[in-house]
Amino acid sequence: MSFSFQLAIFGSTLAVLFVMGFLLYFFAQDYRKKLLTGTQVSQSKTENNLMLSRMRREISLSAFILDDSKSIGIRYLITSLIFFFIGGLAGVGMRISLWFPNPTFLTPVQYNILLTEHGTLMLYGWASGSILGLGYYLLPSMLKIRRDSLGVINSMMFWFFLLGGLLIIFSKSSATWYFYYPLTDQLTETGGGMFSFATLIGILFILTSLTISSVIFLKMIFLDRDENMGLSRLPLFAWSIVSTAILIISSAPISMIADGMVIYDLINPVFFTGSNGTALGYAIMFWFWGHPIVYVAVLPAFGLIYELLPKYVGKPVYSYSSGVIGLLLLLVFSATVWGHHLFNSGLGTVWDILFSTTSFIVVIPSAITVFNWIATLWSGRIRLTVPMMFIINAIVDFIIGGVTGVMQSDVGINELIHGTYWVTAHFHFILLGMTTGMAFAAIYVLYPTLSGGKMYNINMARAHFILTAAGTYVMTIPWALGGFLGMPRRVAGYFGIFQSYQDAAAIGGIILGLGQLIFLINFTYSMYSPTIHSNENILEEASL
Amino acid sequence: MNKFTPLFVISIIIIFSAGSFLYFMYPIGGSAQQSNLATYNSTIEITLYANAAGWNYNTSNPNPTIYAKTHVLLEFRVIEQDTLPHTFTINPGPNESQASAIINVNIPPVPGTVVWANWSFSTPGIYTYWCIVHPETMVGKLILNSSGNNSTATAISSNQSLFSLKGSSNIYGAREDLY
Repeated sequence: MSFSFQLAIFGSTLAVLFVMGFLLYFFAQDYRKKLLTGTQVSQSKTENNLMLSRMRREISLSAFILDDSKSIGIRYLITSLIFFFIGGLAGVGMRISLWFPNPTFLTPVQYNILLTEHGTLMLYGWASGSILGLGYYLLPSMLKIRRDSLGVINSMMFWFFLLGGLLIIFSKSSATWYFYYPLTDQLTETGGGMFSFATLIGILFILTSLTISSVIFLKMIFLDRDENMGLSRLPLFAWSIVSTAILIISSAPISMIADGMVIYDLINPVFFTGSNGTALGYAIMFWFWGHPIVYVAVLPAFGLIYELLPKYVGKPVYSYSSGVIGLLLLLVFSATVWGHHLFNSGLGTVWDILFSTTSFIVVIPSAITVFNWIATLWSGRIRLTVPMMFIINAIVDFIIGGVTGVMQSDVGINELIHGTYWVTAHFHFILLGMTTGMAFAAIYVLYPTLSGGKMYNINMARAHFILTAAGTYVMTIPWALGGFLGMPRRVAGYFGIFQSYQDAAAIGGIILGLGQLIFLINFTYSMYSPTIHSNENILEEASL
Repeated sequence: MNKFTPLFVISIIIIFSAGSFLYFMYPIGGSAQQSNLATYNSTIEITLYANAAGWNYNTSNPNPTIYAKTHVLLEFRVIEQDTLPHTFTINPGPNESQASAIINVNIPPVPGTVVWANWSFSTPGIYTYWCIVHPETMVGKLILNSSGNNSTATAISSNQSLFSLKGSSNIYGAREDLY
């Protein structure tokens, strides 16, 4: 009796949700039709010009309904910003809790949840999402694409991405962002988290979205671009997207297979237990993708620097061909270095030496790229606008992060600093300075277009830059120092001798958080300021 | 651009980030509270794992005998370990009897689900904690000694590592049992 009553409630709830979803879909379609057939206020609203290179798209909620490439770029930008703030709040929470050696307000389980959400949302939500957004937004105008042909698939992939991010937030997993096998399948509060399989499903959604979007990027670049634009005249941003897309397509499916196997192992432990498959098997399959995603997060930022530097220096890029060669060499070499994450996991000395060597070789294309930027800066007249500040900071941060990273390629030193805050400092230098900084630089450059002719408040933008840059240094340099002395990462408490390093890092984290709040305030405030600018920007009008 | 779009986007960002932060902080699982809570002096947190082969089956001795005192709030933190349905039931007396149960909480068959049962006993004696679904394997004793009103909370058991005293001075504070 009671059971059938519960079933009736469950069924009627499902029916109501279904009807609501159908009505939502109906209204969205109706609204979309109205947008497309209404008065032609702006070029973007006419169906035939959905992806014209001259189209300028501003932030609006109709972007979530229209299927042109620029609208999808705006969707990704907004969504990834939301994920950035969720992950950032988690990071600041962890910093504050680590003020004293005994955790102040987080229990270890809560700390692990915040750690996992911070890592997963920042890499899969913010880094991947902002790259997809900038790619969809910038490529059509850079490549003078006339018509959009796969808008429905792009739109579907965005909803996959959003669903994946929501599943990651819902799951409250505490298995850290790489989901190593035995921990992930322990569905307890103290293990990987009760719903860590939901995170795996969410990551599968996001990886599907990334892979198919990469195929679409390659189609845009190689098939859809203007006939008069030869391969030797492709913008360097397009070349960086080529490297990124090939990296994603070649390595993401391996991780998707591993995730599927882990989900199957939850029910029937076959793959990663027993004699023929070990936990190391999952680690290998994961890092085959886990290292390339770092380059996926960085390479488009390289491309943005190549695009923006000439605008603020007044000179063309020093060497176009060496830029292309550097980006393509990074694609080749970065796919072969994943083993350096497993130096201390027992791959064997021969493999360790191989991956150590390839990790040192990656320095060559990175150095080609960095010296290309420096040579461009060398004799030009530098205009120190806010995006230019972000660019210079990105270059400096990339050099520091690169040098601290190369030291880890040495197997001996790696044994010393493995699992310490040194590693955290290394990748936060690169991901904060390069990925996040260049994404913000691109948002500032695109601001007049995104807001429909408004201009951001320059003083607030400068404050945002200064707080971001200073927060990066104040947070990561104590990490590097303490990490070299053996301060372990990923733990909710620590030994008292490291308290000064952790306190300095906490101050840095709070400074960083305040800087992002200023960005948020500036973003809103400037949207309501009077229109003083045309809705053109130097990134999109570049190749017109 | 619609006039309210930026405000809408910003409020979405703030609501989502603050909301998910609170969601990450929120403890997992349900709870069962005493309706007419007797007075108590101190609190003890007791963690039990529900497994069809016995309570706390992951240790060498299942079904530990729990010693506690009256007028102490016992916070039973019951964690589901296998995928079978269980109940957390306590009745007075040395034998299982469903009719006279004081506490009877259903544990959902999802591994890792945490069920809280907070109870302060006023009568000393021998109590039985058990699972209605598995009365043969999952049954243990809860022995309550009377205490004066000024007594401090102590929990002695046959397997002490599974218990933690709130307010004790270990390095990770009260939640050491989470390790």
